[in-house]
This record gives sequence, C-alpha cells and structure tokens, in this order.
Amino acid sequence: MRLKRLLAVLNQIRAKSLLVVPLLFSTACKPPTPTEQMASVISWLATAGMAGDAWLRHTTPDKYTRQTLELSHDTLLQISDDLLKSLPPGIDTASLDNVLTRSRSRIAQMARLVEAKNSPAFLSQLDSLRADQKIVKQFSDSIESKQ
Amino acid sequence: MKKVLQITLGIITSVGGFLEIGSVTTAAQAGASFGYQLLWAVLLGTLCLIFLVEMSGRLAAVSKHTIVDATRERFGFPFYAVVMLGMVLVAFMVLVAELGGIGLSLQILTGLGFPWWAIPVSFLVWLLMWKGTFRLIENGASLLGLVTLSFVVAAVKLHPEWGSAAHGLLPTMPGDQKAKYGFVAVSILGASISPYLIYFYSSGAIEDKWDESYIPMNRMIAGFGMTFGGFLSMAVLVAAALALQPKGIDIDKFDQAALLMTTALPKWGFYLFAFSMLVACFGAALEISLAIAYFFAQGFGWNWGEDLEPSKDSRFSFVYTIIIFLAAVPLLFGVDPIKVTMISMALTAATLPLTIVPFLFLMNDPIYLGEHRNGWVSNSVVAIIILISFVLAAISIPLQIIGG
Repeated sequence: MRLKRLLAVLNQIRAKSLLVVPLLFSTACKPPTPTEQMASVISWLATAGMAGDAWLRHTTPDKYTRQTLELSHDTLLQISDDLLKSLPPGIDTASLDNVLTRSRSRIAQMARLVEAKNSPAFLSQLDSLRADQKIVKQFSDSIESKQ
Repeated sequence: MKKVLQITLGIITSVGGFLEIGSVTTAAQAGASFGYQLLWAVLLGTLCLIFLVEMSGRLAAVSKHTIVDATRERFGFPFYAVVMLGMVLVAFMVLVAELGGIGLSLQILTGLGFPWWAIPVSFLVWLLMWKGTFRLIENGASLLGLVTLSFVVAAVKLHPEWGSAAHGLLPTMPGDQKAKYGFVAVSILGASISPYLIYFYSSGAIEDKWDESYIPMNRMIAGFGMTFGGFLSMAVLVAAALALQPKGIDIDKFDQAALLMTTALPKWGFYLFAFSMLVACFGAALEISLAIAYFFAQGFGWNWGEDLEPSKDSRFSFVYTIIIFLAAVPLLFGVDPIKVTMISMALTAATLPLTIVPFLFLMNDPIYLGEHRNGWVSNSVVAIIILISFVLAAISIPLQIIGG
C-alpha cells in the first residue's frame, strides 16, 4: 500500500518535472542580441582575414587554411540568418545582407584559391574582404548605438 | 646534490606539465575578449594552486596517506563516495576535453577531423598507461611540455605594455559582457585549481616514497614550479590580448586559437602552437586517467600503482582502460572539445568546495600531520579563494546560461 502511494507521488513528480524542464530551458536559453551576433560576425571575418594573411606568408598548411575558411563561411552563414531576422529598426537590412553575402562568397572563393595555390587572386580577394570588414564594423557600431 | 637534481626536475616537470587544453583555452579566450583584464584570475588561481599542491605533498610525505586514503579514513566511505562521484564526473569531462585537444591539434596539422583521431589517440594513451612507469608518465610528457615556453617568447615578442598588464592583476569590472566576464573568470579559476592535479600530486608522492625529509623540496617544487607555470598561462593570455583582441577575434573554436602565435612567430608559430597543445593535452590525458583510477582504487582499497604490473593491480588497470575508451565516445560523435572544456572548467570551480573543504580539515588534523599541520595563512588564503570561486560560479554560470 505504502509502496503504491510512493510510486504515485513519484509519478506526479515525474509528470511535473516533464513540464517544468522544457519550460525552464525555453526561458533560460535567451538568444544572443544583435550586438553580440555582430561581434561574432566581426570575429569570424577577422579569423578568415588572419588565416588568409598567414597562408600568404606560407606559415600555415593549406589544409588548415582551407578548413578555417570553410568554417568561417559556414559559421557566418548561420549567424547571418539569425541576425537579419532580429535587427533593430533603422538599420538598412538589405545593405547589410548584401555585404554579408558578398563577404561569404569571397571567403568561399579564398578557400578554393588555396586549393589552386593561386596567391595573387587570393590576395585580391583578401583585400576586398578587408574592405567589407570595415563596412560590417560600421553596421556593428550603428546597431550598438540603437540598442 | 641528488636533492638539487630532484628539485630541478620537479620544477621543470611542473612547468612543462602546467598547461593543458583548459588553461590554454580559458586564458586565450580571456585575452581575446577582455585584453589584460582577467590576469588577476590567473594570478589568484596560481596562488591557490601553489598552496594546495604544497599541502597535498606535505600530507603524503608526513602521513604516508594520499588525499583519497585520508578522506575515506577520516570522514568514512559514504562521504568519500559523494566526493568521488563529483570528482570523477568532472575529471571525466576534462579527460574528454584533453583527448579532444590532442585530436584538434592533429586536425589542424593534418586536415583530418578530430573524431577520426579519438580511437587512435585513446589507444595510445592507454598503451602508455599499460606499459609505462609513473616516472615516464610524470617526467616524459612534462619534459616535452617545455615546448609550451614558446607562449612566453610569443608574448614578449608582441611587446606588451607592462603597465597595463600589471593593472590587469587587480580585479576590475568590464563595461559590458559582465556575465561572460564572470564565466571566463570562473573557468580560469577552475582550470588553474584542478583538483585532479592535487590528488594526482599526493598519489605521486606516495608512488615516489616521499618522507618528511622531502618537505623542503616539496615546498620548492610547489612554489617555483607552479609560479613559472602560472607565468605560462599569463603568457597565453597576453599573447591573445595582443594578437587577437585588436582584430576582434573571439575564440569559439580551436582553429581560431591556432592563430595565436602566427603574428609573433611567423615562421614557426602555427606549428609550435599545434605541437605545444598536442604534448600538453597528451600529458594531461595521462595524468587525468591515472587520477581517476586512483580515485577508485584508493577509495575502494584496491591494489594500485602505476609502477606495478597490470596483473598485480588488475582493478586499477581495468578502471583506466574503461575510462579512457569511454572518454573517446563523445568525440566520435563530434562533441566540440572546446565547449566541453569551458563547461568542465566552470563545473570544476563550482565543485571546488566539495573537494577542497574536506582537504582543509585533513590539513589541520594533528593525527595526520602532527607539527606539520597548516598555519592560519595557508588556511585563510585557500578558504578565501575557494569562497570567491564558488560565489563567482554560483552567479556567473546561471547568468551565462540565461545570456545564451
């Protein structure tokens, strides 16, 4: 009899915790703010730039450089999707989308150029990426000021 | 003369074995995100580690007990079982991170993803444990680990502003990202005050048959070895502050940390980083596997000793065999070792009171230490640092979860 009562209580607790746990997770895991997402974008653009720089100086292996560029590309794609949905009003979403898409395609191109060992074309893409980085930084500053 | 050699070797192995994936990742993340601002956390962690390591060596030398033996004897098995459960869980996570660190180092060198390395690396760690002696494990990996001194060369070559760096030795609050700042500070403390290291050190003292004549040597090794080791962690932080922070690079992945030395040491920086991490993580994986086997064997009163043939301490050998291969499983499924590292370091800090408080009781027990028991300075320093790390952990871990 006692055992049955204990089991019933345990079942109740289990049922309650089944409801509470997802609720806690959904409220606890707040998505990152646009400012934080922009910091990640800048970080990954800079990573691609620094990895590219090191490759041009022949100080890193091709495989590492290609993998890091691909990782930067994939991570930027992931962040950009979320970022563009959560921008504060007053930010030119289309222009930001445009510069982010362009940067990603430059990084993808750089990864291909590593494979082809084409340093001059790589350098030209890297210079353009640096110019894009400056535009992204301006967007980041204006998002930060609006938050 | 023999003692001088032992002290020198002890200090060298402490320095060479100081860095592992936790200390490098947390220090690099701190430098990349907050510049010199978190140098105080490395200093605090190192200071605490010096005291704790000295105490664990003293306990072993005077009482001929490891910390596990003494904890079980003094507080009873049920209490020890709780401590062991916490310790084993955290140490297991750290082992996953270290094996992952070896895999990541090989990944950046070869291009072959880290999950592919999980089984070969685990097998190699296990083989060395099975065939090797305690001396080989303690000294071999640590001597190779001296390559981590390249972080100091990199930091110096980047010409740090010494005044600003000194300012970072005093705690200050950041303008923004307070939750992240607290979380990284806690992780640094967790990485510095690794309880497994303290338990490992006391077991090592028993394996090396220390007696009371080793007390001065123990003090020198703990003091100088850990201080120089702390400088290595600070060098990683400084190098990250100078090479990565100005570019806005935040370390989320190992691939980003690999660029740490490419500015200061253009020709060899990348390879030195990869080799340093490979050796440091390998040494740490050996030590943690041994430490987990010690927790079980000493806790349950089995035969133990890395110098014994596996047939003479079969249960001890069985534990590390199982643990090493279990630790490879999450890596096979692609679990990110850097994420495991950050979580395990913060959890280490959060569980510090569980492991260190009973140790402080032991260190004040005249039955075990007689006239060599702790003075008020050691007790106060360790108690204050444990309290700080626990408070930080209690605040910043939930904040970090809420902050995503």
